[in-house]
Amino acid sequence: MIDWTSWLDYGFMRYALIAVLIITPLFGLMGTMIVNKKMAYFSDALGHSALTGIAVGVVFGVQDTNLSMVVFAVIFALLLNKIGSMNTASTDTIISVFSSCSVAVGLAILSKGGNFSKYSSLLVGDILSITKAEIGYLAVIFVITILFWLFGYNALNAICIHKTLAKSEGIKVKVFENLFAVLVALIVMLSIKWVGILIINALLILPAASARNISVNMREYHLFSLVFAIFSGVLGLMVSYYTNVATGPMIVIIASVIYFATFLYGRNERNK
Amino acid sequence: MKNKYSFVLIMLLCILLGSVGLTTLYVAKEQAEEEEDFKIVTSFYPMYIAALNIVGDAENVSLQNLSEPQTGCLHDFQMTPKDMKLLSGADVFVINGGGIESFMEEVAETYPELAVVEACSEVEFLEEGIEDSFVAEDEELEASRTGHVHEHEHEENAHAWMSISSYRIMVATIAEQLASLDEAHAEDYILNAQIYDAKLQDLQEEQQELFAMTEGTNVILFHEAYAYVADEYGMNVCYELNLDEERQVSAGEIADVLEAVENDGVTYILAEELYGKEIGTTVEKESDVTVLYLDTLNRGDYEKDSYLNAMHNNIELLKQELIK
Repeated sequence: MIDWTSWLDYGFMRYALIAVLIITPLFGLMGTMIVNKKMAYFSDALGHSALTGIAVGVVFGVQDTNLSMVVFAVIFALLLNKIGSMNTASTDTIISVFSSCSVAVGLAILSKGGNFSKYSSLLVGDILSITKAEIGYLAVIFVITILFWLFGYNALNAICIHKTLAKSEGIKVKVFENLFAVLVALIVMLSIKWVGILIINALLILPAASARNISVNMREYHLFSLVFAIFSGVLGLMVSYYTNVATGPMIVIIASVIYFATFLYGRNERNK
Repeated sequence: MKNKYSFVLIMLLCILLGSVGLTTLYVAKEQAEEEEDFKIVTSFYPMYIAALNIVGDAENVSLQNLSEPQTGCLHDFQMTPKDMKLLSGADVFVINGGGIESFMEEVAETYPELAVVEACSEVEFLEEGIEDSFVAEDEELEASRTGHVHEHEHEENAHAWMSISSYRIMVATIAEQLASLDEAHAEDYILNAQIYDAKLQDLQEEQQELFAMTEGTNVILFHEAYAYVADEYGMNVCYELNLDEERQVSAGEIADVLEAVENDGVTYILAEELYGKEIGTTVEKESDVTVLYLDTLNRGDYEKDSYLNAMHNNIELLKQELIK
């Protein structure tokens, strides 16, 4: 018989659990807005920019690559917003251009001298890499995000429904959009090392998308998204520990199962 | 409305039970040899083979190796949660020593109680080979930017298992220390080690037969592990290029190799098949040097005689080359 608590005997698993408990509610919350605003591709591009962030850090000899990643991602997000709002081409084209550029730069620098294998753990994530300091950063962001949500959610939602209308209501559209982008950038960057670049976006999108399948109002939408995010996070962490698979993918697999179940349920309900 | 919440609840429960069930099945399969009295964990392949021979058929002793790194050498090895778990249940951890296990610090911090047997504690390491300036420069840069100092840089050359005489010392050290830690099986360990040592001695004699022919030959090494081989055969190392999985050579380095071949009259290059093959072929084409692809014995099948066989093959390879 398995001892279902033994995974908490290890320091790194306790850190991982704390990180999951902090990060998944954030993913759940931010996800609802990302799905509403149809920004899934945006957060994906942000995830990819982590590579460049690390590369930039390496070039400038920054010891803590977290720092260079975060700084780069924030600049990247603001720039994306800026150019996106200029309406020169459709948003997905612009995001795609940015995303591929940053990935190319990141890969070029990191693979110099054939050394890319060292960074390949970034792609799938490494749960052992969570440190105390990172949990500290996450906690700070957690508080900021909650505050932002409490005070800014209505404004953000209004912008999402109709930009011009929101502007006429006196809402500072630019400020809110930029703040939101920066928050997404911070959260993505600080969790990417253990979630992995390839799937971080799934974690951001899936809980919210599943919740959207079955929700009829904003309250339900948020509630379900939070529940799904935390549930898949904790269960994924446990299962990954006992089966010795990478944690990020396991969490995403569970979140995907939830998505398909809610999808089928939602479709049935609507057809009734 | 109510319907929906119960659906969510049931769905989550189903997923929970499903994953718990599947995990239990999976773990049950894995937990076969939990009931042993004395658990030995080894850090990597040569240590495992040595310990395997020492443990022999001793009852109630389990022997396990850490998960095998994909890249052969241990330098960039990352412990997985499974390794941490393995060590948490271990009585002894057998390591090579000399800094090759870069994760030892982490292990010592997490498991201060774990007994560690350092196989090379009695072995005199060779100095790091001829300084390869390119590597050194690269590594300094790397260390400064990642905060991760490549263990090679200021350490001795710890690939001592490549020399049969050092390996015999290592086997004896492991056996002695295991015997003192596990008195119940002490006799088995010492006896098994003696039997194994006899086989190793034969192997060493086989190697020494070649000594007259190899002494003084100029060689180039494509991996620092071969410094021990060169040492045992009395060969002169003219140039050393440390090729491994994470390094590609530049054209300039190949030119350096060719120059060394030219200037010093090098007859052989000792290289690893996996990482040295391409450059080896290139160099062979450009000059009349012979590249010998020797096994570095850091991976292979988990059989008792793996070390003996692989070493024997290495000796045979050289012998055939010399007779030619």
